[in-house]
Amino acid sequence: MLKYLLRKLVLVLPLLIGVITLIFILIELSPGDVADKFFTPETTPEVREKIVAKYGLDKPAWFRYLLLLKNLAVLDFGTSIAHGEAVTTLIGEALPNTLILSVVTLLIIYPVGVALGTIQGVKHGTVVDSGASIVSLFFYSMPSFWLALMLQLYFTLKWELLPTSGMHDPVMYEFMSTPEKIQDSLLHIILPGVAMGVASAAGAARYMRSSVLEVIRQDFVRTARAKGLPERQVVSKHVIRNAMLPIVTLLGLSLPFLFSGSVLIETIFAWPGMGRLIVSAIFSQDTPVVIGCFFVFTLVVVTGNLLADIAYALVDPRIKYD
Amino acid sequence: MRTLSLLALLATAGCTGESGPTEGATKAWETSGTLVIAVQEDMDNLIPIVSQSAADSYVEGAVYFGTIDSGFDCSLKKIPALATDWEWSDDGTVIKLTLREDITWEDGTPMTAKDIAFSYDLVRDPDVASPRISYVQHGIEGKFPVVIDDTHLEFHFTHAYDRDTQMSHITALPALPEHLLGEADRGSLRKHAFGKSPMPSGSWKLAKHEAGQRMVLEPNWNFTGPDEYKPKLNRVILRVIPEYATRLIELEKGTIDLMQSVQFEDVDRLAKEHPNLRLVRRGWRSMDYIAWNQQNDLFKDAKVRRALTTAMDIDHMMGQLLTSESGEVYGKRSTGTITPALCGVHNDDIQPLPYNVEQAKTLLAEAGWTDTDGDGFVDKDGKKLSFTLTTNNGNPRRAKASVFIQDYLKQAGVEVNIEQLAANSFFENLRKKDYDAALSGWSAGLFVDPSTIWHSDVVRGIDPQSVNGDTPNCNDEVTDNCVEKRYEFNFVSYSNPKADELIEKGLHTPVPEESAPIWREMQQVIYDDQPYTFLWWMDEVIAVDSRFEDTTINVLSPFGNLHEWSVPADKIKYER
Repeated sequence: MLKYLLRKLVLVLPLLIGVITLIFILIELSPGDVADKFFTPETTPEVREKIVAKYGLDKPAWFRYLLLLKNLAVLDFGTSIAHGEAVTTLIGEALPNTLILSVVTLLIIYPVGVALGTIQGVKHGTVVDSGASIVSLFFYSMPSFWLALMLQLYFTLKWELLPTSGMHDPVMYEFMSTPEKIQDSLLHIILPGVAMGVASAAGAARYMRSSVLEVIRQDFVRTARAKGLPERQVVSKHVIRNAMLPIVTLLGLSLPFLFSGSVLIETIFAWPGMGRLIVSAIFSQDTPVVIGCFFVFTLVVVTGNLLADIAYALVDPRIKYD
Repeated sequence: MRTLSLLALLATAGCTGESGPTEGATKAWETSGTLVIAVQEDMDNLIPIVSQSAADSYVEGAVYFGTIDSGFDCSLKKIPALATDWEWSDDGTVIKLTLREDITWEDGTPMTAKDIAFSYDLVRDPDVASPRISYVQHGIEGKFPVVIDDTHLEFHFTHAYDRDTQMSHITALPALPEHLLGEADRGSLRKHAFGKSPMPSGSWKLAKHEAGQRMVLEPNWNFTGPDEYKPKLNRVILRVIPEYATRLIELEKGTIDLMQSVQFEDVDRLAKEHPNLRLVRRGWRSMDYIAWNQQNDLFKDAKVRRALTTAMDIDHMMGQLLTSESGEVYGKRSTGTITPALCGVHNDDIQPLPYNVEQAKTLLAEAGWTDTDGDGFVDKDGKKLSFTLTTNNGNPRRAKASVFIQDYLKQAGVEVNIEQLAANSFFENLRKKDYDAALSGWSAGLFVDPSTIWHSDVVRGIDPQSVNGDTPNCNDEVTDNCVEKRYEFNFVSYSNPKADELIEKGLHTPVPEESAPIWREMQQVIYDDQPYTFLWWMDEVIAVDSRFEDTTINVLSPFGNLHEWSVPADKIKYER
């Protein structure tokens, strides 16, 4: 197992270099550069040259690429050109916010998806199954940004149940007691969490359903029933446990999806996370920030895969990595 | 346990990047009420020498006590602030400012002429690479300014030019605290901590900044200036909400009090459903135009350009693109790049070319373009009149306008292909003049300097603005005395000696009353040449909760003079 993980970790390095190279090439190929942000009709050409030189943009691309790799080798991500702040500071501010949102989303996806899928599998062929299939297909195929806007429209404007956007109350937060602050933060995370999680929960439900259907036909389930176990126990002890195996893999693999989904959701819900950081960095061609964000994204994807591998081995004793 | 730590994380999340809470100062006068403003972007940096985002300028305007205040009534009006008095020399090349004595920085250090001089020293420093360096380009080095004593200083200009422009060049930058920034490394000024938590000298203090979420302004309780600058509100909160639909919902819910750039199609519904909102028009801040690249042979002939304008029903397009549901038009036909808001300078007498397809065809025929092969498109020397109209993507108004334009020009026998490019590529192509025709826009300058857009694009000679009245006498070579000046924002390579002459004359005329007729004549000359098809000036609609009184919403700012805003006691919404 350890050997396997180490081998996987060694493979991360070429993957990171590949991602960074690709991103660098894409930024280079797109016209204009970040220095454009500073230019107005009043900017004289001399100042423009100075600004360009100041950010090293006058150097040839290969030189900047090698410099970038050299800096990344010592984990120096540089300074954002657009914000004038260390890239690590910006990521340090944004990453926890996205992680919180992802964790909450996962908490929505899995219990809901697993429960729904199990019910569907057990009640296979009934009205409940078809009804749930239609509902999950509906949410599965719905664009998350549209769902987000609809949630805002109904839950905040029409029914006034939840706050619309942001991480906490913009006016009263600092005057709240700690329990009130926690409550306020929880209320603020519900809508973005649901908007991000619902489609994946619907997906998880569909996986779970087919997994349950497969397990429920197996001999050991028939044996369990034959020895007179109540149906409830058959499902909870024998079916769900075995049907969960593919879902665990899904857990690790959904982490990168959550991160990429955050790009839209964070913008709509004014959530200051990685998604918003990377969008603004791409638009302003702020290379250090873009590279830094993709570096983190790549690590998240790799970590998600590794977690899936480990979790799989843990829940299924038949799996061994050599 | 896991749940508990997640909860704790939730409660503290978003507090990173927060500047410290206000400490020390106690409430020194009565305030009440909170104003919540939605902004699209977070602030980056509050050192005005190097800052650039809109949010930066909003906060800077609140925390620094300006050299002068500006009002607007047909032109910029100067209102005494730090400078109580100013006096021009007879030849208009020297201005002497007298400053108040009672303004201090929050730490009690007096704000003096030296702090203004320090700001200008920073702007001029090549290491700083300030994008605002043009403010000092007509100032005499070493004498821009000269500090006489703590409350008096002089700015010496190389020559006299438009006084409003001169004045804006010396007052647009607030004074910065030399005692705090004097030792700062100038090459990395943008990274200085002061840029995130500046020391205030004005009415407000940046009490809190939560990155990507909000900026909280509280009264600067150590403010020592005149009483009328003391804020009446408890707090002003700038909330960062990037998405338009989200801002709109927050506005309708009443969780924000002020929103900019309300889309015209939402205006009527808001007015009907939310009587608590005041919808204020800010006139003529930006315009759209079609640039005809004169490096392209098609557009070299002014007759062709006039024909193209005549072929478009611009009023009808405005009726389709700039209207609310009830049909109210939020714009004005444009005849140039000087905003109609500058009513003393804007030439109201220019008659926009009327829509007339037959007239357009006649003009094209006079320029040699007729439909000889009967394919519906005019041609000349076997080539049909066909070009690509480029615009930036992400702007639905321009996207729709290009389809209208394509359709109108087809009726006049002109083939238009539409191309949309990412904003970066689009503006780079404009600068490189790598396009046929471009649908683009300008935002209005509030003092007049048409040279950047309309002066002949490449000029060799003695810099015409640096030597008053001398005739440039240079050959085509670039030497020490003969410089080459490029006006890069003249995207269309427009060149008309008459316009150049008027621009230079106007820029060298200090008194606005005397330069106004020159600018009006210049507008007519340019309009006759039709280097652009000028489309329209657009209004901006600001929605603001009507519980606020003494609000300033004008062409200068969507929320100006925040220290004057107040809420009557019976309408207070937030206790804190």
